[in-house]
Amino acid sequence: MTPYARRRLVNAVVMALSVAATGFGLLWLALVLWTLVVEGISAITPALFSQMTPPPGNSGGLMNAIFGSIAMTLIATLIGTPTGILAGTFLAEYSRGGRFGEAVRFINDILLSAPSIIVGLFVYEIMVVPMGHFSAWAGAVALAIIVIPVVVRTTEDMLNLVPNALREAASALGAPKWKVIVTVSYRAAIQGMLTGVMLAVARIAGETAPLLFTALNNQFWSSNLNAPMANLPVVIFQFAMSPYADWQLLAWGGALLITVTVLFLNIGARLLASWSTFKP
Amino acid sequence: MSPAAMVATQSMPPIPNRSTSAAGLRQKVQMHDVNFYYGAAHALKYINLTLHDKSVTAFIGPSGCGKSTLLRVLNRIYELYPGQRATGEVLVDGENILSPGLDLNLLRAKIGMVFQKPTPFPMSIRDNIAFGIRLYERLPQSELDDRIESALHRAALWDEVKDKLKQSGLSLSGGQQQRLCIARAIAVKPEILLLDEPASALDPISTQRIEELIDELKPDYCIAIVTHNMQQAARCSNFTAFMYLGELIEFDETETIFTHPKERRTEDYITGRFG
Amino acid sequence: MTAETAGVARISLAKGRAGAIGDVVFRALTFLFALLVLLILGGVIVSLVAGAWPALRTFGFFSFVTSSVWNPVTEQFGALAPIYGTLVTSAIAMLVGIPVAFGVAVFITEICPIWLKRPLATMIELLAAIPSIIYGIWGLFVFAPFVQQYIQPAIIGTFGQIPGIGMLFAGPPLGIGILTAGFILAIMVLPFISSIMRDVFETVPPMLKESAYGLGATRSEVVWRVVLPFTRIGVLGGVMLGLGRALGETMAVTFVIGNAHRISASILQPGTTISASLANEFTEAFGDLYRSSLIALGFILFIITFIVLAIAKMMLLRLQKQAGN
Repeated sequence: MTPYARRRLVNAVVMALSVAATGFGLLWLALVLWTLVVEGISAITPALFSQMTPPPGNSGGLMNAIFGSIAMTLIATLIGTPTGILAGTFLAEYSRGGRFGEAVRFINDILLSAPSIIVGLFVYEIMVVPMGHFSAWAGAVALAIIVIPVVVRTTEDMLNLVPNALREAASALGAPKWKVIVTVSYRAAIQGMLTGVMLAVARIAGETAPLLFTALNNQFWSSNLNAPMANLPVVIFQFAMSPYADWQLLAWGGALLITVTVLFLNIGARLLASWSTFKP
Repeated sequence: MSPAAMVATQSMPPIPNRSTSAAGLRQKVQMHDVNFYYGAAHALKYINLTLHDKSVTAFIGPSGCGKSTLLRVLNRIYELYPGQRATGEVLVDGENILSPGLDLNLLRAKIGMVFQKPTPFPMSIRDNIAFGIRLYERLPQSELDDRIESALHRAALWDEVKDKLKQSGLSLSGGQQQRLCIARAIAVKPEILLLDEPASALDPISTQRIEELIDELKPDYCIAIVTHNMQQAARCSNFTAFMYLGELIEFDETETIFTHPKERRTEDYITGRFG
Repeated sequence: MTAETAGVARISLAKGRAGAIGDVVFRALTFLFALLVLLILGGVIVSLVAGAWPALRTFGFFSFVTSSVWNPVTEQFGALAPIYGTLVTSAIAMLVGIPVAFGVAVFITEICPIWLKRPLATMIELLAAIPSIIYGIWGLFVFAPFVQQYIQPAIIGTFGQIPGIGMLFAGPPLGIGILTAGFILAIMVLPFISSIMRDVFETVPPMLKESAYGLGATRSEVVWRVVLPFTRIGVLGGVMLGLGRALGETMAVTFVIGNAHRISASILQPGTTISASLANEFTEAFGDLYRSSLIALGFILFIITFIVLAIAKMMLLRLQKQAGN
C-alpha cells in the first residue's frame, strides 16, 4: 500500500471511530432515558402524588418526598441565588485583577466541581451536630452551598458580557455605581443570570449525597423544617436498593419525575440563553 | 489664504456665516495646562482652551490625537478606570471640576455625554429618558411625561416613537437609538453637552438629522463635539480645535481655521495631506 | 421648551450624597458575599480536619492510609480499600472516557454538518445533566445485568485467559463491581471532557488548520498534528476536570460497586470507593471512632479532588492567558 493510501486509510478509520464514539455516547443517553420511561411510566399515577411513602410491601405514593424535595430546593435557591449574584457582582464589577478576586474565582471553581458528599459532611458538622438532629434546614443549606458556585460563575460571566459603553452611558448621566449595576448591568444580563439559576436548580434537583447526612429521610408526611424531611433522591436510594417490588416501582417513578424535571430545566435554560442572543 | 487651502475650501460646501464673535459669548469652560495619562502613557499635553456657552466647539484631528480623551476629561468619566488620571485645572463657571473632593455624580448630571455607538439601556423608550431624570428629581407622573415628551421633541424623535414609548429602546434603528441617547442626555437639563463622534456609526440621512439637531440645540447649550469628519466640523461648529498627538495645535473660530489657518499642520490636515 | 440652561447654574462642590452611601453599602455587601465563598472552603477544610482528627490520631495518618482492614466491631479502620477503589474506578473511567470524549469532540468540530452541531452538542451535554442517582438506579437494574450477561463473560473468555494479566479479570461474572462502576463513571464524565475539548478545539485559528490542509494533510492528521498540540494544555485541563468529577462521584458508584471493603486484583470483583463507603455507612455508623474514620475518608477524598481540580484550573487559566495573547 502506498504511503498516501495508508494515510487515507488512517484518516477514514479515525473519522469512522469518532462517528462511532458520538453514536456510542448518544446510545447511552437513549438507553437511560428509554429505561426510565419504560420502567417508570407505570408508576406515574395520581396516587404517586397523593399518597405517602409506604412501608415495605404496600403500595403508596411519593407525596411527602416530592414536597420535601420542592421545599428544600426552593429554600436552597432562595438562599443561594442572592448570595451567588452578589458574590458574582463583586467579581465582575469591583475586583479588577486584584488578588482577592482571583482567589475567590479560583476557589469558586473548585467548589463548583467538588464532591457533593463532602458538602454533606460539612453541613453535618456545622448544623446537624450542634442542633443534635437532622433537619430540612440542614438539607437546604447543603443544597445552597452547591447552588452558590454555579450562580457566582454565571453571574460573573454574564455581567462581563455587558458592554462598558452601557455602564459609561449610565455613569455619564450621574448615576452612582451601585445604581448603574442594579438598574443597567443587571437588566442587561438578566436573561443570562436567570439561565444560571435554572441550571443550578436543575443540578440540585437530583442531588442525593448532600441530603444523606443532613435532611436524611422521613417515612411520613412532615412540613417541619426542623426535622428530617423526605426527599425524592434519598427515597429512590432507599427503595431501589431494597428487594421489594412495590418500592422499586416507586423508585423508578421518582427517577422519571426527577429526570423529566431536570431535562426540562436544562433545555429551558438553553432555549432562554439562545433566545436572548436573538433579541433585537 | 494659501493656494492649497483655497483649493480645499472650494471643494467644500459654503461655510455658513455664523456671526460669532468670541466677545459676545460667555466663557463656560476653561482648561488650564491639562495633562492626561493612561498609566504611563502621556495622552494629553498641556491643553489650554476655552469652550464658550451657547455655541458648538468642534475637535478635529487624526486618530489617536486625543480628542475623545479630552472630552472624557470634562465629565471625568475616565475615573471609572484605575490608572487613568488628569492633572491641571478645568474651570466650569469658575469652579475647578478636577478637584479631588468633587461629587462626580452631580458633575455628570450637569454635563451630558453622547457616545460614538448608540447605547440605549435595556428598558422601554420611556424608561430610558426617565432614567436620568429620576436620579435627581422627584416629579409627579404628569410632569415626568411632559419632560419625556419635550426631550423627544427636541431630539426630533417624538413623531416616530410617540405610539411606542413602552417598547424597548433596543427595537429602534441605529439613527433612532442615537437620537434617543441625545434625548436622554438633554432630558436632565445639562449645561454642557459632550458629543463623541455621535454620527460616525450612522447612515448619511441619520447623520444629517443629527447635525440639524445640533444646530437646533446650539442656542441653549455649550456643546463640544468630536468628529473625524471635517466637513461636519465646518458645517456645525462656531469654534474648532485641531489636535495632533495629544497637543492642541490650533484653536480658533471655525471660519478662520478652515479658510486661513495659522499653523502649517492645521492646513496640512484640512487639505488632506495626512489623515 | 426654551433654554434648558437656566441662567448661571453652578455646579456645586457638595460632598457625600445618598449615592455615595449606597455605593459604600453595596460594595461592602458584594465583598462580604465574595468572602463567604472563601469562608465556605475554609469551613469545609476545618470541619473535615476536626472530624477526622480522632481517627487520624488513633491510627496515625500513614497506617490509616495503608491499612485495608475495616472492622467496625473491633474498631479497626483503614482507608486503603476505599482509596484503591476510588483510584481504580476513576482510572477505568478515564481510560474509556477520554478516547470517546475525544471522538465526540472531533466529530462535532470537524465532521458534523453545521445544522447538527448545536442539537448534537446539547444532547451530549444532557448526559451530564442526568443526576448521579439516575445512573445508579439504571446501572443496578439494567447495566449491571447486561455487563454480567455479555461483557464480563467476554472479557473473562479473552483477556482472562492470558497468563499474567489474566488475574486482573478473574472471578465469576457478578455484574456489579469495580469494572461496571468504572464504565458508568466513564459515561458520566465523557460530556464534561468532551465539552471542554470542543471549546478548546474551536479556539484553534482557522488559518492554522487551513495551512495544514493546504499542504495536503488529511483531517485526522490536522487534528492530531495541529489541533491537539495547539490545545494540549486545555485538553489536559479538561481531562483533569473529568477526573475530579469521577473521583467524587457518589450515587452511581454506590449502586453498582458492591460495597465490599477489600482489595482484589481482579477488577471484576466488588469493592468500594470513599464516597460509596460514606454514603452507605455514615448514617449507621456507631461509635465516635467509626464516624471519625469515615470523616477521615472524606478528608482524604477532599484532598485528592482539591489537588486534581486545582491543577485543572491552573491549566485552563494558562490556556486563557495564552489565548488572550
